[in-house]
Amino acid sequence: MTAQVSSSVSSPHRYVIIGNGVAGNQAAERLRERDPEGQITIITNSRMLFYNRYLLPQLFHEHKDWRALLAYPAEYYERQRIRVLRDCWVTSVDSRKRQVMLAHNEAISYDTLLVATGGRPYLPEELVECRHLIHPFGTYEHALAVRKALPENGSVVMLGGDMIGLDLARTLLALHYRVILVTHENTFWPHQPVGEERNQFLAILQKMGIEVVDGEAQGGAIAIEKGASGLPERRVRFRQGGDIYGDVVMSFYGLLPLVEFMMGSGTDIERGLLVGTNLRTSDPHIYAAGDVCQIWSEKDNVYRFYYGHRNVRAMGAVAALNMTGGNEHFSTTQDEALFQNEQGYIDSPFWAYD
Amino acid sequence: MNSTDIQIALCGSAGDGTIAAGDILRNAVAAMGYRVICFDVYPPEIRGFGKCISRVRITTEQTYALKRQSDLLVSLDDSHAIPHAGEVRTDGAIVYESKPVGHCPEGSHMSGHILPGQIPYGIPLRELAEKTTGGSRSRNLVVLGVIAGMLGFSPAPFQKIIEKKFAKQGSSVVSRNLAGFQAGYDAGVNTFKLDNVYCVPQEKAASAGQVLMLSGNAAVVQGCMDAELNTFFGYPITPATTIMERLATSLPKRGRRLLQTEDEISAIAATIGAGYTGARAATATSGPGLALMAEMLGLATMAEIPCVIFVSQRGGPSTGMPTKTEQSDLNAALYGSPGDCQRIVIAPTNVEGCYRCAGKAFEMAEKYQTPVIVLLDLYLSNRYETVTLAESGPPFNLNANKPLRRMEAGELYHRYAHSEDGVSPRAVPGDMGCMHVVTGLEHNTLGRPNDSDEVHTAMSRKRHDKLLAALQHPDFTVTKRIGHSGRVKVGILAWGSTFGESLEAMFMAHAQGISCAAMKVVMLSPFPTEAVSAFMDDCDHVLVPEVNYEGQFAHLVQGILARPVVRLSRVPGSPMPVELILGEIRRLAAMV
Ligand SMILES: Cc1cc2nc3c(=O)[nH]c(=O)nc-3n(C[C@H](O)[C@H](O)[C@H](O)COP(=O)(O)OP(=O)(O)OC[C@H]3O[C@@H](n4cnc5c(N)ncnc54)[C@H](O)[C@@H]3O)c2cc1C
Repeated sequence: MTAQVSSSVSSPHRYVIIGNGVAGNQAAERLRERDPEGQITIITNSRMLFYNRYLLPQLFHEHKDWRALLAYPAEYYERQRIRVLRDCWVTSVDSRKRQVMLAHNEAISYDTLLVATGGRPYLPEELVECRHLIHPFGTYEHALAVRKALPENGSVVMLGGDMIGLDLARTLLALHYRVILVTHENTFWPHQPVGEERNQFLAILQKMGIEVVDGEAQGGAIAIEKGASGLPERRVRFRQGGDIYGDVVMSFYGLLPLVEFMMGSGTDIERGLLVGTNLRTSDPHIYAAGDVCQIWSEKDNVYRFYYGHRNVRAMGAVAALNMTGGNEHFSTTQDEALFQNEQGYIDSPFWAYD
Repeated sequence: MNSTDIQIALCGSAGDGTIAAGDILRNAVAAMGYRVICFDVYPPEIRGFGKCISRVRITTEQTYALKRQSDLLVSLDDSHAIPHAGEVRTDGAIVYESKPVGHCPEGSHMSGHILPGQIPYGIPLRELAEKTTGGSRSRNLVVLGVIAGMLGFSPAPFQKIIEKKFAKQGSSVVSRNLAGFQAGYDAGVNTFKLDNVYCVPQEKAASAGQVLMLSGNAAVVQGCMDAELNTFFGYPITPATTIMERLATSLPKRGRRLLQTEDEISAIAATIGAGYTGARAATATSGPGLALMAEMLGLATMAEIPCVIFVSQRGGPSTGMPTKTEQSDLNAALYGSPGDCQRIVIAPTNVEGCYRCAGKAFEMAEKYQTPVIVLLDLYLSNRYETVTLAESGPPFNLNANKPLRRMEAGELYHRYAHSEDGVSPRAVPGDMGCMHVVTGLEHNTLGRPNDSDEVHTAMSRKRHDKLLAALQHPDFTVTKRIGHSGRVKVGILAWGSTFGESLEAMFMAHAQGISCAAMKVVMLSPFPTEAVSAFMDDCDHVLVPEVNYEGQFAHLVQGILARPVVRLSRVPGSPMPVELILGEIRRLAAMV
């Protein structure tokens, strides 16, 4: 089917997608199906083409060249005529001129824009100053750096322990590293099990071999320091005075939507970009998909985030259909409860990779 | 991976310091022991602005040409570099300015032109330069640091060359540039590499001589100096000008002379005059200058006066394309004078050859008493290579003149006496008892005008035959066959700079299992009929690649040998693409 696009826009239609993640790429693929002539541009601050970050833990098993992680080979983008502007930071969006401003002072014009910038790791205020002593884990480069820093059978202190961290923890345990989890209210993020249910899941983690430290009881981690000589590289201090050591400290407190650059665009923002279930923002030419957007939930009567691979992918597809004249809706009614799967591991209805 | 073969292209606008950065890069890597081939392309000097590109191929093993695809492109000016983004291979890298000053019109930034398979490295070059040096002028040094850091080169050889290069401009310029380089180096080391452009650290090889990094024109100058050139007359013209510029510094240091004449006619006339007096003399020009020299060259042939003319070819005819390379002055060099104007024409095929041909040209000019044209081209003149000069000293015979017998009292000196080898003992003004007439008119053995048919026939034969001995000139490579021996499917017959591309193509063809050999023809006049004919006997097909439209060398070969060749004549303004030659080799090899 060919797109029905407004006649007031340029021909071919210029689709610009900010973000080269799951949502952005799914949208690009669907846009091309719907509009063979459209001009599709993906803008990303990454130097790499889209790769599956779910696969990053695999790098601890065996060194893989980053090309092995790519979701699509380079030729795919050429074949599909999808232009990818890499290593480009979007600094603002001028919705009046319909232009995306890049850090290098170039303005990219669009007819329809999709914001799919995902999120960045959340770090509690008190740890911001110690950021340089924390190993991040969001990119290929990060994963290699952690691998390099970890001595054989070394220990990782995981602050928080969201689902991204717990996926990694499973791999680390299998490779005989020590994993010490310091709990936080965002443990299991984006899930929020509470009370007895939460304790049950923590018990599962312990059974797997994760050493669980009650971070909340310790008043939370307040500082990270370099370990003294003869001790592991890092020391984590707690508000209550206690401390623990590890070769590497990683924080997994969940993600915050990356929306700062949209502030002056006139679109409605709460924490994320606010969209209806059709994923359109308050600006009819701007859509949003993925971790960056808060979608109106009829059931809960609030704007909510819907995380995880399956959700985000679905959003990319819905956004593309609507950007090309469709009338699709993202389903906000879904099962979200964590559960224990047949292998005895914690599983999620939407936090998965397929 | 145990060898290095990477090509870096630096591209900017005149004034960005692109060529200077390329110069430092090539000298630094040469000092590390790598083999280097480089070629700079810059705007016509007469305009003084526009695109500059410096391409540097760095290898462990000897190579013969630049590669069609670069592994790394550096942009100092996106408007010039964007059209070259496509020349970077898949998984190669593009380094560019991530924080340009001012507004960037849509589509004018490099990031929008990088292909999905290439790796972008936007680096705040200007910001780094400003932070460390207080200005943006050192952006070229910053970017040099970035690539040195990314490729894992040691900074020391770069720093040494930067110090030397800017020493004359004072210590503050040196330290500013060193600071810029260091800032870039740190950024490069800290850049997470996603490309697969690697250099294997080079153990400095013990070489059998002095290793220099020379351009073709610099090698010509070195050859002239080692052959003890005495006097040079010239008029500037791209791409030969740098020969004169360099000699203008070198000659006076040795108490010798250089004169810039008012035009090329004066230059050749003065060169011939100096040769007549016994001085070792030369001039250098390009196609348009050679055209002006044509008449005078006839005089040198007729009067049998040694002189050397370096001709660096550029795109023609007329003013043509002054900064583009071409091999289209072959006909002018061979035939471009009225009358049966025999002379020696030699064409080096690489930078080391420029050195040898320059020195040997004087030997030949004196030995055979003739003008010798050394035919270069812009690509060869401007390209840099590592050259090893023998420790045993210059390989030139500085006493090639035929000895002159003492004249008996009353004996008449026959300046043009017939002899077995056609060469007559040459006297110069002041030699006792050797007074003689020198004229452009046909003459008898005494030099006196004579237009009888016997004299003209005999003298024409003399002037022709004496040159044939040059085909056996000692220690001079007239032709050379490389590649498979015996019978081959495809033989490549090449001259001048295109031989490098031909060799690269031949080695690629070997890797594809094609039986193939290449012959370089360095002496174009007199023509090495026997050697070329023997080579052709061995080849099912003979391919002649050359950078001119008419196929001038192919004409020459076919005219002399009356044998078919396959022409590959192109005028891209740049060196013949290796892939084009390879394509022809493959096509011919597939023919039954
Ligand atoms: C390490 C890791 C492992 C994960 N594992 C799983 C898993 O196993 N299962 C699961 O369901 N989910 C997993 N997730 C979460 C899941 O990846 C996210 O929900 C999903 O990636 C979000 O997709 P997105 O397209 O919205 O954003 P992202 O995938 O985060 O992509 C955002 C893109 O926007 C770009 N960007 C952001 N800001 C700018 C800007 N200003 N200018 C230009 N470009 C910008 C980024 O470079 C990036 O390309 C994981 C996440 C991470 C980080």
